Amino acid sequence: MRYDLIIIGMGLSGLMAAKTAAGEGKKVLIVGKGMGALCLLSNTIDVLGQFPKIIRMRDNLFQWIKDHPQHPYSKVGLEKIEEALNSFLSLFPPPYSFQTVDHMNCLIPTGAGTLRPTYFIPITMVEGTSLNEGKALIVGLKGFKDFYAHYVADQLKCRGVNVSLSDLLHGEITTTYLGRLMEKNSFIKNIGREIKKQLNGENLIGFPALLGVHDPIQVKNNLEEIIGAKVFEIPTLPPSIPGMRIFNRFKEWLIQKGVTFLLGYPVSKVTLKGKKCEGIEVSHPPVTTSYSADRYILASGRFMGGGLEGTAEKIFEPIFHLPIPQPQSRGGWFEKKFFTVSPHRIHRVGILTNNAFQPIDERGGLILENVWVAGSILAHHHFIDEKSREGIEITTGYWATKKAME
Amino acid sequence: MKIKAEVLIIGGGATGVGISRDLALRGIPSVLIEKGDFASGASGRNHGLFHSGGRYAVSDPEAAHECISENKILRRIAPHCIEETDGFFISLPEEGLDYRERFLRACEKVGIQTTLLSRDEALEQEPELNPNLLSAVRVPDGAIDPFALVLGNAKDAEEHGAKILLHTEIISLILNGDKVKGAKVKDLYQGEEYFVEASYIINATGAWASQTLKLAGLPIGMALSKGSMLITNRRLTHRVINRCRPPFDGDIIVPNHTVSILGTTSIRLEEVENFEVTPHEVSLLIQETSKMIPAIQGTRLIRAYAGIRPLFQSEEKGDDRAISRGFVLMDHEKRDGIKNLVTITGGKLMTYRLMAEKTSDLICKKMGTNVPCSTHSKPLPGANRPTGLTERLKQFTTDRGEVLCDCELIQKEEVKALLEKEKLKNFQDILHRTRLAKGTCQGGFCVYRLFGLLHELRKIEGDSNKILKGFLEERWKGIRPVLWGTALKEEELIESIYKGIFNL
Amino acid sequence: MNKKTWPKSNADACIRCTTCMAVCPVSRVTPKFPGPKQAGPAAARFRRPGEPSADDWIDLCIGCHLCDMVCSSGVNVSELNLIAKAKYLDEKGRPFRDWLLTHSYLWGQLGSFFSPLINLLFKNPVIKWMGEVILKIDRRRELPGYEFLTFRQWFNRKPTKGNPKIAYFYGCYTNTNEVDVGKATVQVLEANGFEVTLPPQRCCGIAMLGNGDFKGAKKMARYNIPSLLNTIHSGSKIVFSSTSCGHMIKHQYSHLLSIPSAEEVAQHLFDVFEFLRNLKESNSLNTHFKELSLKAAYFTPCHLRALGMGIPALEILRLIPGLQIDQIEADCCGMGGTFGFKKEKYEISEEIGKDLKEAIDRLNPEMILTDCEGCRIQIRHLTGLKVLHPIQILRDALQNDG
Repeated sequence: MRYDLIIIGMGLSGLMAAKTAAGEGKKVLIVGKGMGALCLLSNTIDVLGQFPKIIRMRDNLFQWIKDHPQHPYSKVGLEKIEEALNSFLSLFPPPYSFQTVDHMNCLIPTGAGTLRPTYFIPITMVEGTSLNEGKALIVGLKGFKDFYAHYVADQLKCRGVNVSLSDLLHGEITTTYLGRLMEKNSFIKNIGREIKKQLNGENLIGFPALLGVHDPIQVKNNLEEIIGAKVFEIPTLPPSIPGMRIFNRFKEWLIQKGVTFLLGYPVSKVTLKGKKCEGIEVSHPPVTTSYSADRYILASGRFMGGGLEGTAEKIFEPIFHLPIPQPQSRGGWFEKKFFTVSPHRIHRVGILTNNAFQPIDERGGLILENVWVAGSILAHHHFIDEKSREGIEITTGYWATKKAME
Repeated sequence: MKIKAEVLIIGGGATGVGISRDLALRGIPSVLIEKGDFASGASGRNHGLFHSGGRYAVSDPEAAHECISENKILRRIAPHCIEETDGFFISLPEEGLDYRERFLRACEKVGIQTTLLSRDEALEQEPELNPNLLSAVRVPDGAIDPFALVLGNAKDAEEHGAKILLHTEIISLILNGDKVKGAKVKDLYQGEEYFVEASYIINATGAWASQTLKLAGLPIGMALSKGSMLITNRRLTHRVINRCRPPFDGDIIVPNHTVSILGTTSIRLEEVENFEVTPHEVSLLIQETSKMIPAIQGTRLIRAYAGIRPLFQSEEKGDDRAISRGFVLMDHEKRDGIKNLVTITGGKLMTYRLMAEKTSDLICKKMGTNVPCSTHSKPLPGANRPTGLTERLKQFTTDRGEVLCDCELIQKEEVKALLEKEKLKNFQDILHRTRLAKGTCQGGFCVYRLFGLLHELRKIEGDSNKILKGFLEERWKGIRPVLWGTALKEEELIESIYKGIFNL
Repeated sequence: MNKKTWPKSNADACIRCTTCMAVCPVSRVTPKFPGPKQAGPAAARFRRPGEPSADDWIDLCIGCHLCDMVCSSGVNVSELNLIAKAKYLDEKGRPFRDWLLTHSYLWGQLGSFFSPLINLLFKNPVIKWMGEVILKIDRRRELPGYEFLTFRQWFNRKPTKGNPKIAYFYGCYTNTNEVDVGKATVQVLEANGFEVTLPPQRCCGIAMLGNGDFKGAKKMARYNIPSLLNTIHSGSKIVFSSTSCGHMIKHQYSHLLSIPSAEEVAQHLFDVFEFLRNLKESNSLNTHFKELSLKAAYFTPCHLRALGMGIPALEILRLIPGLQIDQIEADCCGMGGTFGFKKEKYEISEEIGKDLKEAIDRLNPEMILTDCEGCRIQIRHLTGLKVLHPIQILRDALQNDG
């Protein structure tokens, strides 16, 4: 099969690349070994969370780009970063839309009772950012093991309750089980009434982030109406229902646009001729299928996604075998302490690119002419510490694809 | 505050707790102090081999003899702490069969029962073994749960009148002429310091023996030997696998619950604390153990850890109490003229009971009493915890409650019961008493849940994330040496959760 | 069965990330099933060869393969489950009901011959009640009726035409219960100039495999593979219209059942729409479609997704003028082959199905199209709508009036 563009990787950067290309009417294949980390780690859209709350993101980015010329953001540029983020936002029209608080980082409560800086948040989390302005009640559900109301409330110095419901069968209930139940009116009624009974002057209700997968706004509205207080979602341990909402929305839109969505099988081989990629093979034992395209986007993620792999000796990129400059030996990958002031060195490792996101070697020589690289696999960022995960994925996914289509 | 004790035992490892029980069963009350939790030193940091004695049969027949006789006793008194797996001593082509013949003869001499198995028979029973092996010798090795063993001893000791004070550190030993009057100790949680007056004092601090004696101005020569081990994600074999050759690095694989433990190295250390497993040791262990089980080359490791073997450096004189090269019972009356102080060190987990017996005999002799030891015949209080893996899976039925630890199938109710039953002072105490955080993700998911539960039960209040961060640092020590391959992927996940989603 | 021939597990590769927990349709609707992460790689650490099975809930895995698809670490979760399920059922013994459900190929011919009688009986509430009491086949399920003239009988009476040859693996259900799917497949292929042949074939064995009966499934595979291999050696490719049969032959025969030569067969075996899409790629697809003014919705069956070829039916159907086709945003229909017929699992099946029904309701289509017979049974049961195989619509679009 032949396509205009083949995207390797189904995380946020790959999806964003597919959206960008499909939006321009290209024939796109997106192939993912797995589903990426959206449904695990993404709840909100971080852009540069490590910056204080009081500075506008645009100014943050401006300064950041000045200070970090090699950083992916610097290669995208301020203007295109905003364009890319807007492109992402356009996929989420109201009611379930994303917004900022005054174009600055805001603080949202987390499942560990900490406050976490982030940038774009779904409407379902907005009330959480003004936690100190009201009196909040944190609600947990008996039988659900991935969120603890008292734990969160103790750190945030508010009250926590555990709601126990007869609708919840005895046994272990999972995030998706609850997320689904939340979309049942009878369940919402019961839980709403139960919470209302527990109210003691609180006007804000913090709830684990599982207010339904398909129509969270409806769930939130219904709950608020019954309780008589504002409800907000608190992100917690994976899986992440807010992340699933993002994935599902992309998938729905992309399939609608005719993008071929190939989830579940790894790229087992690429065919190179000179500085060109001529095709990929997708392995599905015992069959391998060949696909080819004019251009390719590599958005395969870091270690978790399989974009990078580490043996006891070295780190490598398994698909195109692009060079990965790295510390001399394994001893230099990680610091002695887990929590360190400067990030673990391994997190800066990645693929070097030119300003157009094409892979280059250490001397700056172009390695492949029709391959562009996007997302967390890129070098010179450390998205965990910078709190820039989604920002890097969205902006590089967008801009690398724009460059590829030029 | 002041406490009076007939006997003060310093050290809550297997030996100290064993002595506490031994004395209690003889009707002699004691107070035991331990600066950490039970088995924080070598007792809890070994490969958990339940020795048949085979490993010492050729090199140290006396130690081997001790092992096999204790082996038979412990099977009787502590069956719930032991998995009777048997062990293989496998011969590989590179060593040939010379050692095997010596090994078989030596085992026969000390009374270790052996069965010779052909290559095919061995492979039939343990399919993961190196298919080039020449033969295997079966011996009555097994796997032991050191923590359960120590807890069982402690429980029985307390039931018979012993007193045990955990998280209590010794500050100084107060000398009065030819006697130690007692010890100044500190409760590490309350911060309170107080005096324990005692008629007899037993130093059972293992690798810390010399440090403890320094408090009385009596240093002894100790050599510290670090032994490092690796834990695999799954249990590779049913039996213990030893290499049939003179003892060397990386020659043993011990099954333990859901995992296997690859051991060990031997490296001299200067300091008793702050040690880590080096990349070189990790590579060496993989290289050597994979000669016995080739699949180890690609297998998933979940943790590395090390323990310190306390080795007594023999002195020119005054060494007369050395019962064997395995352990040292030192009467400071003979050595230093201090009448009521005794040090027991060296040895191994396997002989803890024997060490406790000999120490208690000495104390009795000093006291002038003549009550015989009974620890070889009285069983430990049976732990009600089922030990088999299948049993655990069976408990995980359709009407289960929440499972806190997905990897080790630990249910919330189980942890809740533990928290309600026992007074635990810190977070590590809880982890010691369950298999929480011992599985694939090493607590990545379940420790968050444990915090949630502690808050829910109001066992912790206020800001507890400092403790959580402390746990993650502790966890880091164990996983950092094995971070590549799948473990590296998992690292990115866990770091993303705690530094990302939770912004710790 | 010989446990040594079981495939090796790669449970070690699991990093506990919970992606599979985000997508599992069963744990989404019931706390009885602990979810793929727990049932697969986590429980694998506790299962010991030689010890009896201890996990009765393993039987609740519906076998949709979604967990396998989404796993970035490549853990074969559903295989781990299937192997554990086989062991559990081998020890516990299978009810006669499971034998009946998995051996329908044996009495399908009979069913067709006596279809006027059997179809009446299948609708009889007393019979259904007895089926539930005695066999534990849920009486709320409508049992699929038989057709009097089987597909193969129809095919043999029809003149052959076209060149080159293409072989067709039609599957039991098409042969005796949904003959028109087979007819449509043949007609579409003929409209594209092919001569269709029917190689000797038996049930693919997927129902047996799904019920953990490796031995039974292997028996089927050992019959089918030599026959299909002969076909291939005679220079013909093979297409299938049932994605379940297709997935079974193409991937499970070699991978799970280790059938010799299955790999070679897999290389020449195509989903009928995949085959048509390839024709389209080489500009040789017959696209003389007439306009169909129809608002339909398409559902992707689990096994189609597991075949890893995208959604070729959607790509082809979108070429038909006038046909409005929406994709249904749901992951699994809940039927799980024979799963949904079983009394003890009916409610889980129904709950999973409800999510699908809600997604369908949002689209409000006139008709549903899907490539798998199990999904078609379930969707008919859930919605009462007309549910067809997409090949039937494509055939309609190719049929010139008069």
